[in-house]
Amino acid sequence: MDTHAYLVLAVLFLFCNGAKVRQDTINGDLVLSKVERKIDITAHIVKVHSVVTVENGGSSSAGFFLVALDPSLQNYISYVGATVKGEGDKETPLAVSQATVDGHGDKKFWRVQLPMALLTGKSIAVAVEAVYTHALQPFPTEIVQGEKQFVVFLGNLYFYSPYKTTTQTTIVKTFSSNIESYTKTKPVSQSDNTISFGPYENQAPFSEAELKVHCENNSPFLTVTSLERIIEVSHWGNIAVEEHVEMRHSGALLKGPFSRYDYQRTQDSSGSIKSFKTILPATARDIYYRDEIGNISTSHLRETDELVEVELRPRFPLFGGWKTKYYIGYNVPSYQYLFNKGDDFLLKLRFVDHIYDDMVVDQMTVKVILPEGSKNFELKTPYDVVRNKDQVHFTYLDTTGRPVIVLYKSNLVEQHIQDFELHYTFHQLLLLQEPLLVVGAFYLLFVLVIIYVRLDFSITKDEVKESKMRVASLVEEVQNAQDRRSALYQSYDDAINKFKANKEAGALAAARKKIDGDYKQLTTQIQGIQAQLKVEGSDAAEKVAEVNKLDRDYKELINLAIGLAEKLVAGKLSKPQYIESEQANSTKREEIVKKMEDICAGL
Amino acid sequence: MLTMIFMMEHFIMKSGTSAGFGTQWFLKMSPDKQDTLLKMMVLTIAALLSFSTRLFSVLRFESVIHEFDPYFNYRTTRFLTEEGFYSFHNWFDDRAWYPLGRIIGGTIYPGLMVTSAALYHLMWFFNITIDIRNVCVFLAPFFSSLTTLVTYHLTKELKGAGAGLVAAAMISIVPGYISRSVAGSYDNEGIAIFCMLLTYAMWIKAVKTGSVFWACLCSLAYFYMVSSWGGYVFLINLIPLHVLALMFTGRFSHRIYVAYSTVYALGTILSMQISFVGFQPVQSSEHMAALGVFGLCQIHAFVDYVRSKLTKEQFNLLFRNMLLLVGILTTLTAAVATATGKISPWTGRFYSLLDPSYAKNNIPIIASVSEHQPTTWSSFYFDLQMLVFMFPAGLYFCFKKLTDANIFIIMYGVTSIYFAGVMVRLMLVLAPVMCILSGIGVSGTLTSYMKNLDISRKDKKSKKPDNSYPLKNEIATGVVLMMLSFLITYTFHCTWVTSEAYSSPSIVLSARAGDGGRIIFDDFREAYYWLRYNTPEDSKVMSWWDYGYQITAMANRTILVDNNTWNNTHISRVGQAMASPEEKSYEIMRELDVNYVLVIFGGLTGYSSDDINKFLWMVRIGGNTERGAHIKEHDYYTPQGEFRIDKEGSPILLNCLMYKMCYYRFGSVYTEQGKPTGYDRVRNAEIGNKDFELDVLEEAYTTEHWLVRIYKVKDLDNRGL
Repeated sequence: MDTHAYLVLAVLFLFCNGAKVRQDTINGDLVLSKVERKIDITAHIVKVHSVVTVENGGSSSAGFFLVALDPSLQNYISYVGATVKGEGDKETPLAVSQATVDGHGDKKFWRVQLPMALLTGKSIAVAVEAVYTHALQPFPTEIVQGEKQFVVFLGNLYFYSPYKTTTQTTIVKTFSSNIESYTKTKPVSQSDNTISFGPYENQAPFSEAELKVHCENNSPFLTVTSLERIIEVSHWGNIAVEEHVEMRHSGALLKGPFSRYDYQRTQDSSGSIKSFKTILPATARDIYYRDEIGNISTSHLRETDELVEVELRPRFPLFGGWKTKYYIGYNVPSYQYLFNKGDDFLLKLRFVDHIYDDMVVDQMTVKVILPEGSKNFELKTPYDVVRNKDQVHFTYLDTTGRPVIVLYKSNLVEQHIQDFELHYTFHQLLLLQEPLLVVGAFYLLFVLVIIYVRLDFSITKDEVKESKMRVASLVEEVQNAQDRRSALYQSYDDAINKFKANKEAGALAAARKKIDGDYKQLTTQIQGIQAQLKVEGSDAAEKVAEVNKLDRDYKELINLAIGLAEKLVAGKLSKPQYIESEQANSTKREEIVKKMEDICAGL
Repeated sequence: MLTMIFMMEHFIMKSGTSAGFGTQWFLKMSPDKQDTLLKMMVLTIAALLSFSTRLFSVLRFESVIHEFDPYFNYRTTRFLTEEGFYSFHNWFDDRAWYPLGRIIGGTIYPGLMVTSAALYHLMWFFNITIDIRNVCVFLAPFFSSLTTLVTYHLTKELKGAGAGLVAAAMISIVPGYISRSVAGSYDNEGIAIFCMLLTYAMWIKAVKTGSVFWACLCSLAYFYMVSSWGGYVFLINLIPLHVLALMFTGRFSHRIYVAYSTVYALGTILSMQISFVGFQPVQSSEHMAALGVFGLCQIHAFVDYVRSKLTKEQFNLLFRNMLLLVGILTTLTAAVATATGKISPWTGRFYSLLDPSYAKNNIPIIASVSEHQPTTWSSFYFDLQMLVFMFPAGLYFCFKKLTDANIFIIMYGVTSIYFAGVMVRLMLVLAPVMCILSGIGVSGTLTSYMKNLDISRKDKKSKKPDNSYPLKNEIATGVVLMMLSFLITYTFHCTWVTSEAYSSPSIVLSARAGDGGRIIFDDFREAYYWLRYNTPEDSKVMSWWDYGYQITAMANRTILVDNNTWNNTHISRVGQAMASPEEKSYEIMRELDVNYVLVIFGGLTGYSSDDINKFLWMVRIGGNTERGAHIKEHDYYTPQGEFRIDKEGSPILLNCLMYKMCYYRFGSVYTEQGKPTGYDRVRNAEIGNKDFELDVLEEAYTTEHWLVRIYKVKDLDNRGL
């Protein structure tokens, strides 16, 4: 995404917010009786945690109060939240929304909804948390390798508020005790890495005074300048997440050479970023870490029950001003994030996920790719985001394309790691569309092949080929008939054996008559085929003739065997004599059968 | 695999006469169907095998382009898919050869890029959203599968289906071809071999049938070949040579006339459509043989016609006079055309083909490329194994039954074996014909001995010993078993070579750690990626030409010279900058607007193909032009004539820019136990010049293992300082 598009989006963003922001007035009756402010500048972001005791000095109850942002810091604001301590020290978050006030168009206000209306004379302690990004300016702006980095923090000495403040204190926590200078408006004291200002009494609304701290800060100044998070939902049980990250070391720029020798010798590379840890969901699988030119082979994975921790090492260490780009992707099973009731689906997933501790994301795009056929989208986000026009995405087996929900937000920090909800409807039967598509395609392919193979598309007639095919089918018929005929031979044997056992001549004659009938039929059939083969001019005809000849021999042998059996039963032949002649007979028969089989197989 | 083919071949021969083995359904099929099924199975398996055996590097590392040169092809393919054909055609690349630039469209063979782009668009049309990088990575294996099929058809035309199957199985795993077509080597050769064999198959078909249809297909295949590789010159000389051989052997016929006339006329016109080829087919001497044979064909046909109309005496008189006249005229025309420059003289690369020592003596830039070196004997065995021995057997079978088609394959075999001997790279052209001829050889041997094998039923009475041929069965068994074991060792050898020698990528290096684990040196990409994101977009990077393509593709920065070594003087200028002392180089670098200098240094890791080892080529190439005449190779040697980097080394070497860039601050590093600091692990010596500072450069980046070192050229000092 180029910067131009972002500019347009930013304008759009402002416009959208402007439309939504509500008009409020400053309730002059409210007084901040006590403010304890802690400014944390140990990392590259500024966290301001203020415990504000609001007192209602008026006659009517108040349902909310306003928080104003310091004019010196308001351009850096990323997140504002408020909590109140409930029973048992439990922190309850309060609803916070942006507001404008008549006559103060140049200032930014946030409206904090109180848990219950504040009655006259009562007070409540509310903790307000604000996170600012890029508020620390490196000074000097360029350093050489190995030099310590110093930053300047410029803020407001007083708690900036539309209300009168009775008493307030401010504590600034720095990275180390190495503090170059700080504003010395008394009472002020420094010990180790904390500077305490105040207490200051009775400040008028919107009072300002410069608070400047110049101190060492060697924490990694890593900024994600652009993040694109692509979530692809499959109803087959998988959600694929891919994040494209562009990052930059936003601290003091590196001046002069980079020496690998010095870098390897002094491992405590101050200020530079060698690696960082990204926390992924515990169920994340198939994790990859790549960039435009391939795999980045330097990463480590650690899996625990609650989470998967990936230690990512960019291809090169990042020094001030250096940039890099990568993408990381993984799969998660959908059952944790996708819920449905009939055709109504709900996707509940983090809008932004952890990249590194104290992360800062300047620009973010979320793309949710839903299955083909999803409609009626309804989006719920924990904070304001810009929703762009839906897009269509085409990938494997798509016909009409998958709808893509595109969301933008700028300036995000860790506090923004919250779930968004996307409701949509999807007809369950559509799930079968893609498998059916594959089945259909293969079916079509096979049908085409079948048609191509079965039908003759040539424009000339190939006599030889056709004759060959006819012969092949005739041969097959002969083989079948011959198979059946051999079965009949077996039947003859059975009949003889039966006759020898029960000595019923009548039964033998009946069986013989029946088998003879079948046999005759088959023999004529084979002879018919043989004639046809002769017409085709195939040499198979001769072979069939040979088979028939052998068959006649066989039939004679059978008749002989029957005669022998009859003689035996009638007692005209002794048992040894019978066995001898029968053996000779059956050997001959076996030989003939074998020959016939060989010829048939060789057809 | 080959064993399987072997069994199948055996079976194809036997099927129909006896029931060997197999299940009932198989036997129920008619012999024709069994035959088709077996052929399909063997071919499918061979095609699959040829695809999968090339995937070692992708499976072991990742799916990226693994070699140096193909990065250019990859970059241009990406450009083509993104910008379309016309912008590709008109592309003027200002990222290379600064400040000259390069007209890409007119200086490349676009076949490879167009093929990948077409495949890519086809797949995207069906919503198969595959990345263009993957198309490029898997293109060569895919085309080698197709090559397998084409080889089958070509060999089938020459000898028969059995030989075709063996040849197909052999080519699927022959290392000589795999070396240029593994997944991730996205080179022209990957598809060119397919095109070449396709053209040959079509040519054989055309010669056999004499039909214009096949001849047209042949010229289309030729066109594809021309569009994809410069090696088409071999092809356009081989086909005329075949025709010529046919004429001499008295086999010239109308079929040949029709085939060659069509192929030459159509093929030449088509080949001239490739802008890189342009008018070369009618101008350059490399193409003249084809034109000459075309003319000869016409004359031959005409003479045949006249002969049929005249008496013998009349004809002889006419023939003698005409021959004299035509001979004189042709010689004169050729001489005049060459003198006036209408026919360009032969290029250096072509000369080196005919005279292996030509390049070494005259053009160092050609000689410096390792793949242009003459082939060693061992690499023949390494790349072809048993094919070396089966090749003569195949030739024997071809000679035994000479046909028009066989003459072609004999010519192809003999010429390519010569060329492969001259240049390692041309092993690629030899490998297919080796497979084809060995396929014919193996199949021929097996067919003749299988017949003698007595494997029919034991109870047959006909088993009478043949007195004229004692031990017939035993000898046959022996030969068949021997062939079987040859084929088995061939498969093992091929797999081993592919896995060990041809599948290690050159952009990622890997080494074994002491504990047996694998260490990966990903320094090249580390450096290129650093350049890509942490230098101004218009910076110019100077490096030796080997890394040019990679830098433009991966770092997206402008470079001075690259692997397309078309401008000798420009490369020589870079060589001079590297070989000169700092002040001298600074002038050259200012002149060339250089912002960054990149060198490859292996002294810490022991990577031996680094810039110090290539340095003498830089000196030679640098000193090869007029402006670099002061750079003399012997200045960089010790008085004893050795190339040394330690204290003994020549002081000119120890103070030149390349030396300083490689060893800057290396003098304080301990590399090996028990050795002093600054011990170079490639040259096995302690460096001679340890403690120096750079005046005109500053270290901009050095990768983790010091493999790539990038220096920034300092600006001029402010005036008055």
